[in-house]
Amino acid sequence: MAEVFEITDEVKAQFGVETAPWVYEVTTTSVRMYARGIGSTDPIHYDVDFAKSQGFRSIVAPLGYVGTPAFSPETNDATFGFPRRQGGARLNLPMKGLLDGGTETEYFDYICAGDTLVETSHLADVKVKGNMVFVTNESVFKNQATGQVVAKQRLTSIHLG
Amino acid sequence: MGQVYFEDVNTGDEIPQLRKNCSTQQLVLWAAGSGDFYQIHYDKDFAQSTGLKGLIVHGALKNAFLGQLLHDWAGEAGSLRKFGCAYRGMDEPDQDIICRGVITKKYSEGGEHFIELDVWTEKPDGTKTSPGTALVTLPGRG
Repeated sequence: MAEVFEITDEVKAQFGVETAPWVYEVTTTSVRMYARGIGSTDPIHYDVDFAKSQGFRSIVAPLGYVGTPAFSPETNDATFGFPRRQGGARLNLPMKGLLDGGTETEYFDYICAGDTLVETSHLADVKVKGNMVFVTNESVFKNQATGQVVAKQRLTSIHLG
Repeated sequence: MGQVYFEDVNTGDEIPQLRKNCSTQQLVLWAAGSGDFYQIHYDKDFAQSTGLKGLIVHGALKNAFLGQLLHDWAGEAGSLRKFGCAYRGMDEPDQDIICRGVITKKYSEGGEHFIELDVWTEKPDGTKTSPGTALVTLPGRG
């Protein structure tokens, strides 16, 4: 039986190819909305004065927030919200269904409202198991003002063929 | 919950559980917060058209729940350095999702106190749906 996706030399050549930088604004509204979606009641995610009293620049983004896009209809996917980045890998993946496969994030600093993050990402791995294609992308997020790396993230999505 | 300190915990200890139960309203709130409006999380007919039994909870939401578990436990003086999970099983709305963590290692290095944990979400029948690991720093009493 033919594989739903073939890892050709052309695919392999796209591993590690970086996207153009993508900018994320971290706003108080988006941090609060994300915290509300989790069901967190910690004021560190909602109350700027409280967060500052704890030594933070502003309200702190919950763990998992990094990568939450600032949406524009010009540049983001209408359903999933993710940015259609310039450059990087272009794969003709099956799309009968799409599932989250896993998330791994390494944190080097807190992310707070008012920060602007710059992300670059690249294709790190592709595996095929039956009708499922596991695609892993690695991203690096830097604070635009300081240039410091604040997080590295590996996201795996499962494309169903 | 008060601040937990490095000296107070040991390998094998379980950290306080976090119990979640997602209404469909919460899945929509999460969609708005994360920007992920994939219909399998709020449109039952669409979900079933993809072969699913019904609506499912976003994998990234379960990741965020585990983040909340660790954030709540580590306190303001602790910090999470690395954490991730795989989405091995599906969770449905209106069903308990129990977020759990067990300490697997503790050590000090470079003046910091590190804790490694296994973390996971599980269904009420004990099935682990999002197994993962975490690395956390805690303050010392010294």
